[in-house]
Amino acid sequence: MPKVTYIEFDGTERPVELPAGWSLMQGATLNGVDGIEGECGGSCGCATCHVYVDEAFLDKLDPPSETEEEMLDCTSSPREANSRLSCQIKADPRIDGIIVRLPETQS
Amino acid sequence: MFRFDPYSPAFDADPFPAYKTLRDEYPCFWSEAAGMWVYSRYADILTALNDWETYSSAKGNLVDELPGRAGATLGTTDPPRHDRLRALIQKALTMKALDHLVEPVRAVARGHLDALAGAKSFDFVRQFSSKITVDLLFHLFNLPGEDRQEVRDKAVLMVQTDPETRQKGPQHIAAYEWMTSYAAGLIAKRKADPGDDLLSNFIIAEIDGEKLADREVQMTVTTLLMAGIESLSGFMSVFGLNLADHPDARRALAADPARIPDAIEESLRYNTSAQRFRRCLTRDVEAHGQTMKAGDFVMLAYGSGNRDERQFPNPDVYDIARKPRGHLGFGGGVHACLGTSLARLACKISFEELLARYPDFARVEAELPWVPSSNFRSPMRLELAVA
Repeated sequence: MPKVTYIEFDGTERPVELPAGWSLMQGATLNGVDGIEGECGGSCGCATCHVYVDEAFLDKLDPPSETEEEMLDCTSSPREANSRLSCQIKADPRIDGIIVRLPETQS
Repeated sequence: MFRFDPYSPAFDADPFPAYKTLRDEYPCFWSEAAGMWVYSRYADILTALNDWETYSSAKGNLVDELPGRAGATLGTTDPPRHDRLRALIQKALTMKALDHLVEPVRAVARGHLDALAGAKSFDFVRQFSSKITVDLLFHLFNLPGEDRQEVRDKAVLMVQTDPETRQKGPQHIAAYEWMTSYAAGLIAKRKADPGDDLLSNFIIAEIDGEKLADREVQMTVTTLLMAGIESLSGFMSVFGLNLADHPDARRALAADPARIPDAIEESLRYNTSAQRFRRCLTRDVEAHGQTMKAGDFVMLAYGSGNRDERQFPNPDVYDIARKPRGHLGFGGGVHACLGTSLARLACKISFEELLARYPDFARVEAELPWVPSSNFRSPMRLELAVA
């Protein structure tokens, strides 16, 4: 199963393995990684699963959709060049080992 | 021989024992009564929700689909068309965009509570939850007020199924048809004289330079009315029921209303009104030793996934301190409920007002009449005694 490391805002590292096809938002909410909320249930309808993707993995992701772009403008913590919504990133072998950093606030 | 019958009135009243049998013994079950497979474990449901290419919504998402809906609404379209349609509406329904509704909802809730002055008991469904949701939707969509009762009555009927014939009955189809013509009338009015409301924006929207198809607009507006009115008031009613049945939780919320949002999440987990939806397989799938064929329908029992002990410890305990992240109360994935923020906001404010007025209330009837529905679960009537 692909591995994902969430780095919480306080620096705590939270490695999680999740089934291929599950989103990084789901990997966090189902494993008690509290810095991700996922209020809309994964429909790209809020911006409470905001993460900063480690630069080494950024190019391996599909670019954000128009809707994700719009929602990224609504993040509670500042949007950076590596900001993404974790509900839009599906675990798969191509991004095994991906590291994402969590923002200070989600809402 | 275990039978899973989502049409039986006993199941409407209490589906949870049957769900447990499904999860423990038949995690991929062929239900003769429903004519489809049933997923009941949390992980299987989530896997299906994540894989819309295999578990398609384009053949309808209601367990008993209404004629003409499949392929023409958000819930019955797959990406990429779905995503483009949804983007047209979604921005108007984010938490931030709904700030302007806080005070109107509060005023509406207070008004309906004022109307109860002096009563020793009242019907929470008829006199509170449905009143608020109808007022809220009429406000949001800027609809003419005189139609309120009729729209509400039809919305309630169209979500139902007949327990005898195990399908939509003529009265349910008639209610649905009434709602589609109501939607068509609204659309015609908005086309002639667009406002800046959510409906007008959707009606005049274009995708890739093309207007939306008339049927798409009509079916989507019909669904927004149905979900906005009946799904929301259904959930508010089960939330009210949970607080009647769990006095400690109710007192905790009355003492500290800041905990209401946590209780809403727990009620969404414990007994969401959106119990079951369906998908259609686009390829053969093997699960738990069964082979399901392309073209078969699969019921996703959210209400069961939310009680799955593999995911939520002590799932049958109602615990407002649980903070049940990842619950399926609004479904999940690309088709997760469009109105999550609206629902949360409406419930929070309504219950702030309700508990300020009535910190204590109790159920009058031990047995409740439940909406007969293969999809949804909520009481038809919830008489509450107030001090």
